[in-house]
Amino acid sequence: MKEAREGNQGWFLPYFRQFFWQFAVAALLGTLAVACAGALLYTSGYLISRSALKPENVLMVYVPIVLVRAFGFSKAVIQYLERLVGHDAALRVLSRMRVRLYQAIEPQAQLLRTRFRTGDLLGVLADDIEQLQNVYLRFVLPAVSAVLLYGAGIVALGRMDGMFALLMALYCGFLLFVAPAVVLWSSIAKSRRFKQERQAAYRELTDAVFGMSDWILSGRTQQFLQLFTRRQKSAAQIENSIRRGEWRVQWMSQCAIGGAIVLLVIWAGGLAAANQIPATLIAAIGLVAFPLMDAFARISDAVVRMPEYKESLGRLREIEGGRPASVEAQKEKVADQAGGSLKLDHVHFRYPQASGWSVQDVSFEVAQGGKIALLGRSGAGKSTILNLIRGAIQPEAGQVTVNGQPVQSEEDSACLFSVLNQQPYLFDTTVANNIRLGRPDASDEEVRAVTAQVGLDQLIESLPDGYQTRMQETGLRFSGGERQRIALARILLQNKPIVLLDEPTVGLDPLTERDLMTTIFRVLHEKTLIWVTHHLSGVEQMDEVIFMEQGVISMRGTHEQLYQDNPRYRNLYTLDCPLASVMEI
Amino acid sequence: MDKELFRLQGIRPVMLLLAGLSLLQSAAIIGQALLLAKSIAILFEGQAVQMAYQPLALFLVTIAARHTIVWLQKKVAGRFAEASSESLQGRVLSRLFERGPRFAASEGSGKLVTLVLEGVDRVRTYLELSVPRTLDMVFVTLPLLAFVYMQDVISGLILTVTMPVLIGFFIVLGLAARKQADKQWRSYRMLSHHFTDSLRGLATLRFLGRSKDHGETVGRVSDQYRSATMRTLRVAFLSSLALDFFSMLSVAFVAVGLGLRLIEGNFGFETALVILILAPEYFLPVRMLGSDYHASLDGKEALGTIRTIIDSAATDEHKEETQATNSQTSLTGGWDGTITLSHIRVVGEDGRQLLGEISEELGSNMRRVGIVGASGAGKSTLLGVLGGFSDPEAGVIQVDGQPITGDAKQEWQRQIAYIPQHPYLFNQSLADNIRFYEPEATQEQVEQVIRDVGLAELVDSLPNGCEEIIGEGGRTLSGGQAQRVALGRALLGNRPVILLDEPTAHLDIETEWELKQTMLSVLGDRRVFLATHRLHWMRDMDWIWVIDQGRLVEAGTYEQLVAQKSVFYRLLTAGAKGEKG
Repeated sequence: MKEAREGNQGWFLPYFRQFFWQFAVAALLGTLAVACAGALLYTSGYLISRSALKPENVLMVYVPIVLVRAFGFSKAVIQYLERLVGHDAALRVLSRMRVRLYQAIEPQAQLLRTRFRTGDLLGVLADDIEQLQNVYLRFVLPAVSAVLLYGAGIVALGRMDGMFALLMALYCGFLLFVAPAVVLWSSIAKSRRFKQERQAAYRELTDAVFGMSDWILSGRTQQFLQLFTRRQKSAAQIENSIRRGEWRVQWMSQCAIGGAIVLLVIWAGGLAAANQIPATLIAAIGLVAFPLMDAFARISDAVVRMPEYKESLGRLREIEGGRPASVEAQKEKVADQAGGSLKLDHVHFRYPQASGWSVQDVSFEVAQGGKIALLGRSGAGKSTILNLIRGAIQPEAGQVTVNGQPVQSEEDSACLFSVLNQQPYLFDTTVANNIRLGRPDASDEEVRAVTAQVGLDQLIESLPDGYQTRMQETGLRFSGGERQRIALARILLQNKPIVLLDEPTVGLDPLTERDLMTTIFRVLHEKTLIWVTHHLSGVEQMDEVIFMEQGVISMRGTHEQLYQDNPRYRNLYTLDCPLASVMEI
Repeated sequence: MDKELFRLQGIRPVMLLLAGLSLLQSAAIIGQALLLAKSIAILFEGQAVQMAYQPLALFLVTIAARHTIVWLQKKVAGRFAEASSESLQGRVLSRLFERGPRFAASEGSGKLVTLVLEGVDRVRTYLELSVPRTLDMVFVTLPLLAFVYMQDVISGLILTVTMPVLIGFFIVLGLAARKQADKQWRSYRMLSHHFTDSLRGLATLRFLGRSKDHGETVGRVSDQYRSATMRTLRVAFLSSLALDFFSMLSVAFVAVGLGLRLIEGNFGFETALVILILAPEYFLPVRMLGSDYHASLDGKEALGTIRTIIDSAATDEHKEETQATNSQTSLTGGWDGTITLSHIRVVGEDGRQLLGEISEELGSNMRRVGIVGASGAGKSTLLGVLGGFSDPEAGVIQVDGQPITGDAKQEWQRQIAYIPQHPYLFNQSLADNIRFYEPEATQEQVEQVIRDVGLAELVDSLPNGCEEIIGEGGRTLSGGQAQRVALGRALLGNRPVILLDEPTAHLDIETEWELKQTMLSVLGDRRVFLATHRLHWMRDMDWIWVIDQGRLVEAGTYEQLVAQKSVFYRLLTAGAKGEKG
């Protein structure tokens, strides 16, 4: 809960505060690493200048010799440590961000599908968070190091010569602050335009690849290719102008570095002439500038990628903004586990922005162990009814009751319902773990028992690792029918009184469909079943068949009644069983 | 260097130019070192500051010159990379279209889109970075080393010895990191994938009532991921540590060596300074190459993948060309006649036979042909062959005695409309989607077709009518509506041959019923090939093919096949088995 409240504070600051010390250590180490590189050249310059004065004894330059070696040695090691500390901190942040994103999305899982349609968005979000950790590594840490060095350098100069320190402060300030700002300012609009072009290219190409047969049949392939090439050209032009800008700034920065060195050398020469510093420091001061200035100039390179992060951040904010106001934890309601009688009493429901009813005056009743089939076109209100039953949405009028008690929220009624939907997700873990999701404390025997019930035991035992076999990428190892059976095994483990079947057989061929439904009816025969289906084969086994149309019940009855009395139903039924009429005769 | 690189058009002159620029750059670097050393020496010896102005000014000029050369290098390499990646992209795209939708589906459509856009980008980065930097490794490093040797042999020796040690460690440690990563690849992949996996499966978790608790698991697994990553990074960073460590240590040794020999007295201060300034520059190219190592590996891999697609397609084209020359005469008119399939055989990627030895003749009176069979029997493959989307390994299809190859194939495809189970809706207006085969069709024609296929009610309900944008990113249409749009496309295009692949199995039964009525009324006497396992369609077919495991096991009219009480009859009765009585 504490993490959930971070929501209003953005995606950066809370983490920065949380891991302040790790980041501080990393930044300090980064500063030290550059300082060591500088110190190596500084002491080297000093060493050869001192040696050139031909001291009588090698011992006179003993200290600089040791220092040169020490700095040469330590720069690499310190940098190595810095990278480890920095990455560790960034990964810690990543892990917190993931938990936070998960908690933001979790309550809106159902809504997301309608708001964004594809599961791809979720992949994009996961990537976004990984992008954000790069901000720390590529931008924040180097920038902090550079600023620290800048400060230290100016203070050191200031102690020798105030005026010159001011001059250098301004001069290096250009490299450190002005150049990155210019880069950012000039690239922001262009990157946005590039991004747009890029998205358009993605859209068009995806369109073309998925609709390839249509392009080929239309005979307009060449036309598409030309069009696409033109679009790519214009994207390339924008990208080029961004790059040219980058190169220009790099060139200017490098020349500015040269200028800084010249200034430093002249200044040191002047001081030495005035005997304010020993002449041995001229070379040292001239050489130290190379690595330091380089660290400053690198900030402009890092800044180029900032607009991308902005986009990721925007998406994350949008998702967090969409989460419903957190519901205060309600007291756990003790529902009567034993029964599964369900009643819908004149239920009405309307989605917030919609004008018409999604479900209007729907009433039906199922006794414990009763079975109902629900049919209708897409958008007729079948899924809305399932959501109403589960308590995911509340009716505007009327009531849904289970065992005589109203269903008030999804959490309260979770112990009543199992759901088998169109595409149950199989997680990238072992088969046993996937089944055990139904009830985490189930024993191996129980898992085996439900697997045998759904008729998968032989298949799974024949796999090389048996129950420990991993699902490959989103369960591609299993066919559609087998995936449904795994999900069915989960439901058996859950052992809830009411099972909602949401078109579990879409996309299966008739034989698989029939086998699966036979299994489902066999293993769930004691449960109360609400079966949303698109086909009529199997409805003979239902107590009632209900057809929905635009939110209202348009046709209902038992299969036998409807088949005898209703010609429309007869027509539909022959689609599924073409021989039905023939056999009748 | 990558051999693939040399197959890119025009790379030789570019490399020559870049090598020249590298040489010039090395000259500038040496000049820069000489001038800076000279000015510092002047000041060191206590001469007036003004004396140093001239060399310092020249130093600035050489620095500017050096970075101008770098700029030019970027420009040349950038332009070359852009041109090459553009031409690669064009070629891979046109090959993709030549190989057709079957190939795209088998390779993974999403993967191909990513390859064409991001893969090409990676190649571009690779070319842009790796070509000039590899050249720098030779044409900057070597001249600098030679110059150092001329000044001081011992420093030259130190630098020479360091280079192979440094590269050796870089490679060895890089390999160690890779080995370490490979060793824990499986658990690593699982950990890194876990978060995406959790998000994608969120709806299922919620149904199972486990989504709240799973938040903790996300945190825990993320922490495991961190420790696993850090284990790999500890080794991975060692290789760049090696680069840094040896180059820095080498500079330190050079400096100490110079200092000691200065004390002995047989050496000038200025020379020593020049060498000291040059030492870090000597290591710069190899360190740059090291820091872009991973980017160039990615690019190299992408280039390889793109190459395989282009090259494998080239052989196809070759085959097609020889066939095309066999059938010089193109078909004109009449696509109404007899369609003959002789000895058609299709073999899958894995060598499995998908269709075997299908020989059939369809007279012009057999307008509607139903293709039935279990899933995986080869129905769709057969449709693909009929539509010319995939070429059979053996056999030929003839229409009125003309083989469908080469030019005739294109002409044939112009006669076809193909309606798959999930017709693709382009992200354009509804009207443009219907106009897809006939971009020139008038508004009246489009509206007529919209009425014919029963979309008028939908269009009336849309805010922008038939100009409403549909498809990904637009308004979503239901499965039945998408089928109607595809049907409208076929009608407006006036295509005499329509291939339907499982058009109604996924629809709810009411929609299926209505769509069937619409289809039967608008198909008229068009030639229809309909592959499905919804057997109710077969009553309305003139001829039925029953496919089983790639073979044509039965052919005949509905009545004939029912009377035969063989394979088709068994399929029919299997469907009705669930029925009572």
